[in-house]
Amino acid sequence: MNPEFLLTAIIFAPSVGALILALLFDSKNAEAMRLFAFATTAVTFGLTLVLWLGEFQSDAPGMQLEVVKAWIPTWNVYYRLGVDGISMPLVLLTSLVSMLSMAASWSITKHIKGYMVLFLLLETGMMGVFLALDFFLFYVFWEVMLLPMYFLIGVWGGPRKEYAAIKFFLYTLAGSVLMLVAMLMFYFNSDVQADGFNLIRLAEAATAGNLLTPKMQITAFIMLFIGFAIKLPAFPVHTWLPDAHVEAPTPISMILAGVLLKMGGYGIIRIAFPLCPYGAQYLAYSMVAIGVISIIYGAFAALAQTDFKRLVAYSSVSHMGYVLLGLAVWKINEQTGETMNSEYWQMGLNGAMFQMIAHGISSAGMFFMVGVIYDRVHHRDLNKFGGLMGKMPLYGGLSAGLFFAGLGLPGLCGFIGEVFVVLSTWSFNPTLAIVAASGVILTAGYILWAMQRVYLGAEYKGPHPEDLTPMNMRETVIAGTLLTLAVILGVFPAIMFNVMTPSISRMAKAAEAGYRQSATQLSQDEMQAKR
Amino acid sequence: MTADLNSYLFVGAVLFVCGVVCMATKRNGIGVLMGVELVLNGANVNFVAFSRYTDLGLDGQIFSLFVIVLAAAEAAVALAIALNFYNNHLTIDVDRANKLKG
Amino acid sequence: MVGETLRNLLMIAWLLPLAGFAVEIFGGFWGSRKSRVAAWMSVGCIATGFFCSLSALLIWGSSNNFWKVPHETDHHADAGHAEPDHAVADHPADSHDSHDSHDSHDSHDSHDSHDSHDSHDSHDSHDSHEPPVVLGQTVYSGTLYYLARFGSLDISLDYYIDSLTLVMFTMVTFIATCIHVFAMGYMSEELTEELVDHSAHLSNGHHVHRPGRYYRFFAFLSLFCFSMLGLVLAGNIFQVFIFWELVGICSYLLIGFYTERKAACNAANKAFVMNRVGDFGFLIGLMVLWTFFGTFRFGETLNDKGEVVQAGLFQMLPRDETGNVLRDAESGDVKIGVVTAAVEPGGTRTIPYSLLVVAGLGVFAGCVGKSAQFPLQTWLPDAMEGPTPVSALVHSATMVAAGVYLVGRFYPMFVQEVLLTIAYVGCITLFMAATIAIVATDIKKVLAYSTISQLGYMMLGLGVFGWGAGLFHLITHAFFKSLMFLCSGSVIYGCHHEQEMPKMGGLWRKMPITAFTMLVGVIAISGLAVPGLISLSSVFAFSGFFSKDAVVATSLAFVKGNPSHFLLFIVPLVTAGITAFYMFRLWFYTFAGKPRDQHIYDHCHESPWIMTGPLLALSFFAAFCAIGGEEGPLYRLITGDQPAHVAHGIAAPLGSGELTLPGHEAIHAVHGTAGTLALIAAASGTFIAWLLYGTTLVNVAEIKRQLSGLHGFLANKWHFDELYDGLFMKPSHVVGSCCVWIDKTIFDGIIHASAEVMIFISKWDKLFDEAVVDGFVNLLGDSTFAVGRSLRVIQTGRLRQYVMFIVVGVVALFAILFTTFPG
Repeated sequence: MNPEFLLTAIIFAPSVGALILALLFDSKNAEAMRLFAFATTAVTFGLTLVLWLGEFQSDAPGMQLEVVKAWIPTWNVYYRLGVDGISMPLVLLTSLVSMLSMAASWSITKHIKGYMVLFLLLETGMMGVFLALDFFLFYVFWEVMLLPMYFLIGVWGGPRKEYAAIKFFLYTLAGSVLMLVAMLMFYFNSDVQADGFNLIRLAEAATAGNLLTPKMQITAFIMLFIGFAIKLPAFPVHTWLPDAHVEAPTPISMILAGVLLKMGGYGIIRIAFPLCPYGAQYLAYSMVAIGVISIIYGAFAALAQTDFKRLVAYSSVSHMGYVLLGLAVWKINEQTGETMNSEYWQMGLNGAMFQMIAHGISSAGMFFMVGVIYDRVHHRDLNKFGGLMGKMPLYGGLSAGLFFAGLGLPGLCGFIGEVFVVLSTWSFNPTLAIVAASGVILTAGYILWAMQRVYLGAEYKGPHPEDLTPMNMRETVIAGTLLTLAVILGVFPAIMFNVMTPSISRMAKAAEAGYRQSATQLSQDEMQAKR
Repeated sequence: MTADLNSYLFVGAVLFVCGVVCMATKRNGIGVLMGVELVLNGANVNFVAFSRYTDLGLDGQIFSLFVIVLAAAEAAVALAIALNFYNNHLTIDVDRANKLKG
Repeated sequence: MVGETLRNLLMIAWLLPLAGFAVEIFGGFWGSRKSRVAAWMSVGCIATGFFCSLSALLIWGSSNNFWKVPHETDHHADAGHAEPDHAVADHPADSHDSHDSHDSHDSHDSHDSHDSHDSHDSHDSHDSHEPPVVLGQTVYSGTLYYLARFGSLDISLDYYIDSLTLVMFTMVTFIATCIHVFAMGYMSEELTEELVDHSAHLSNGHHVHRPGRYYRFFAFLSLFCFSMLGLVLAGNIFQVFIFWELVGICSYLLIGFYTERKAACNAANKAFVMNRVGDFGFLIGLMVLWTFFGTFRFGETLNDKGEVVQAGLFQMLPRDETGNVLRDAESGDVKIGVVTAAVEPGGTRTIPYSLLVVAGLGVFAGCVGKSAQFPLQTWLPDAMEGPTPVSALVHSATMVAAGVYLVGRFYPMFVQEVLLTIAYVGCITLFMAATIAIVATDIKKVLAYSTISQLGYMMLGLGVFGWGAGLFHLITHAFFKSLMFLCSGSVIYGCHHEQEMPKMGGLWRKMPITAFTMLVGVIAISGLAVPGLISLSSVFAFSGFFSKDAVVATSLAFVKGNPSHFLLFIVPLVTAGITAFYMFRLWFYTFAGKPRDQHIYDHCHESPWIMTGPLLALSFFAAFCAIGGEEGPLYRLITGDQPAHVAHGIAAPLGSGELTLPGHEAIHAVHGTAGTLALIAAASGTFIAWLLYGTTLVNVAEIKRQLSGLHGFLANKWHFDELYDGLFMKPSHVVGSCCVWIDKTIFDGIIHASAEVMIFISKWDKLFDEAVVDGFVNLLGDSTFAVGRSLRVIQTGRLRQYVMFIVVGVVALFAILFTTFPG
């Protein structure tokens, strides 16, 4: 295949599938539609594998396979795609989680055609976000992904689905409005208007210090950050997440936790940091603090839950706190403007990226496991479970593995991200590092306690005990795949680090240079003001 | 003796007034139509006269040609209406044609 | 290459159990519930591991000429002299009777092969009072693979092989093999399709019926062995942390093996969470080390050419010739030695001294959690809910000793303040646990508290600069405590799962082998000995005497140098007596006297050979592994690669706040005194136990009644559980509820309130729309309509009238025109 076409193919393969599904399939033939939709996601996954193994060069730091086509020339909007070490793992994760959650969608029985079509459109939106290099295009995909999600929660969700869907939609929309404003700020301040949406060019300009003034950078960064922090989600804009998760159907929860949350982190590292290095550094302490609060707050909140799914949702808040923490541990020497802990910051960035991947796998797994039991007994009350390890040993074992991955057990994927982030934090601020590290106790507490209430114990205490049938083949394969990946990434994290490190290091270096430029500029302005 | 502008205008005015009186008094649709023709021709006389005695030039004459053509077309349409009206109402009394009353 | 051979052998020993686990865990799929295949597989893996470790130990020894008898001056290699089974225990058995000639020793070369390096100062060969322990000092280290690299920072899986690693490997694999074999018998009731668990109840009062899980137990054991061996082999502190957590989760799985029992689940959770509290400290230590040293590796990093590119942690901390950590005179910071060559060639960094203390205390906090030291000791007694082989392997011999091992391994990084903390924590623990052990009645609980107490001894030993002594006690304790646990397992198995000692008694008649082997263990732990004629070193005693003697002697030497810390000697000495008391109480209670519960006595029986066999093997090592004391082979092996500054002690304090840490010489000087005192304490403890429980002379119940307040306090474990419950558990749940409340009320409240405001505004908006906007438009429409209506009157539809209008209009127009513009 023509490599230039590959990225476009990855993005639009699901849409083509959706189109075919919508036009050619009989709505009564559920099984055929499921199989076809699954095949579409599988093909997309295959394409991303081709991209990773065939075309992508791990050791090259820059953008690869760039595609540029004029789209709306009057406004300098281009159809501009590309992939580098930062987006590559997330693209893989997206296609993988989409495929697995499509496999988990067999439990959907209502309006199957609509569900499948929306699901596939959602995948297009997600892929587009990770592959777009034009800010406008990025924004369009960002919004494209929003609508299917709204309907998927709002139509196929639980009892309070409308509330959850609207909450999700409004939260995200509020964030994207701020992003839109920031986007226009960049557009009208870029030296060449023709490149006003070109993320690569904008980043280069920011590195050279002539995109925004330091003060404007702070404003722009705050707006971008709020937009992305909502998606992440970070304290205190996280309250949409538990509701959305609790009401969403299982596969959508998997997508939500596995992919959508990553867009927040991706946005920060792809747009906010490179375009406003001064703003990022200026707000580094606040971001680290927010990250640490999210970790602790999410863990405490998870400790107090009685709804199984809500607990997992809060664990996501806690785990994504590590992402924010790792991204922001950038310490500067105030006098010289030089970065003091360059390598530790890079470690934090890498750790944060890895944490995103790891969380995508472990939390998708956890939500899936909750879904499996919910499909059987139709409740999620933690106090009404128990004894599942005895009744469904395979399910119990696989769940234990996935929950341990969430707990951050070494040898499973969750550990590497968390620990790398925490290790890099001391060089930024010892106090916050200690608080962040205390998260390990709380995490162990809530996960083990939940496991005890669900899996251990003498007997099952809830309704429908007769429905506790063993996992079927499809469920076993999904859970087994996720657990296997968790183990592989936990034991050989270098698989992902090799892909990410060159690009991240390049990004960090550029951001450092950009900060230096802006800081110099600022001090010169001050000198002139004094005169 | 040469006729000056005023005499032409006088003839035009007489034609116009005749036409108007004809339109206002006749109840027969055809008669009204004739009145219209008189009015139009009164105007034509004026045009031609102005074209002769002022610097309006040929324009006046062209205008009058247009008016004649227009009058012909109008007569054709109006006669068709009258015919249809007659077919429906067995009369062409314009006072009976009050369907357009608001 | 010796290094590669050692690495490969240990790697096999390490990875075989993992492979075993991977197969055994699916035993339910490929085998039946009644099959013993998984167990044989597991035993096979660990036994192979044992032989690999043993050969590694022998290879290491012969490559260093270690097997040579110290006083012989001619160099004849006699590695074949050691018989495989007895290499640890009775190898150069002839050395202990030649203790008086230890002034001539060690003229052997220390091998420095390509991948080995001498990490220590050359020992003091002219010091005639040092025991002849220092022979080869060869350490092999290297990298297995990288987890990640960021610039000059990298994190990898490494190996670090020195004598301590090898001894631990051999000990762990040997004990694990014995326990695996024992467990094949002990767990045999799991070999069934339908097992009735009498300790787990359903809500309707029935017992739980479940299929047996024989294969799963052995899978977990294998996983544990893998993790434990990984911990020992680890070549960097991060890797230690990885396996630290893994042994923790194995412990969780094994304690909670009977998932149906609520107590077991609670105990498993408690164990893991308490360990995580310690690991929280460990993580802080790691952060400090990582930030200031930039590497986790113990040994040096070599490049392909064999040049050192990065110093290891153990080489970075500068110490002067007296062993003190060098500090900058002005700032008090410590200059770190050779730092990453790639970043700052030849450069140095500094670390504040206080952070060095923090790092040490952090790592020690992990050890506190893992080794159940004060204040994180409460999980270990609860962990006895697991099957008894687990208690023997995980919770006495290996995992809980990992904390002590790590303190020993990480010794070069500890400064005096940390060591003093370690000593005091050990001291508090050993006393507290011993007092609780006096009143415990559950046979396993007594052993659990005894384990905590003995771990306290090890910590104390390490803390008072008895590096060798602490680790010596670790090894001997592993043997006799695993033996005693297995004996208790045998008792429990024989008595059909009765664990309460007050219901036993007189069992020696029914189970003589168990009683005998237990007695060996009890004597070993109590430290009883028959004094020798020539000197203390020639006494006839079991292993515990020698190691405990070493610890007590070190603490005496320490107290002599630092009189203000006198408690560090008094408490262990008194506790030595208490130890003997409660251990003999246990033995008398269980095996001697008359049967207290005739039903249990009648039904109890001796265990089958598969269980008594390991007992006999272990009792042999419990008795004789430490033969020769500190001149014996075991001690020499352990201290073969001791940290450089340990031998001399830190005799010259720099400032007023510094401690004087005893060297070998100082310890040796007080050895006799300490040994005698310890022996007296142990003997009196034994005597009191015999008086109270071995005879009927004293009424125990009467004493208990009179001291009921104290008894209650001890029986309630010093109220630590209640304290922690009130101090941490409940508050954290309250905080959790608070967070949920904040989410629901404040954040969602804000969202909902803003939604309300929006709705309110939109109501006004609606009103405005209706009243103003719509009103205006309607008005416009209405007025237009009204005008139309009024104009309608003149639309008469009469043609002639219209003509009149036209005429009148035209005339009017003319009239207006001529009146307005008359010209």
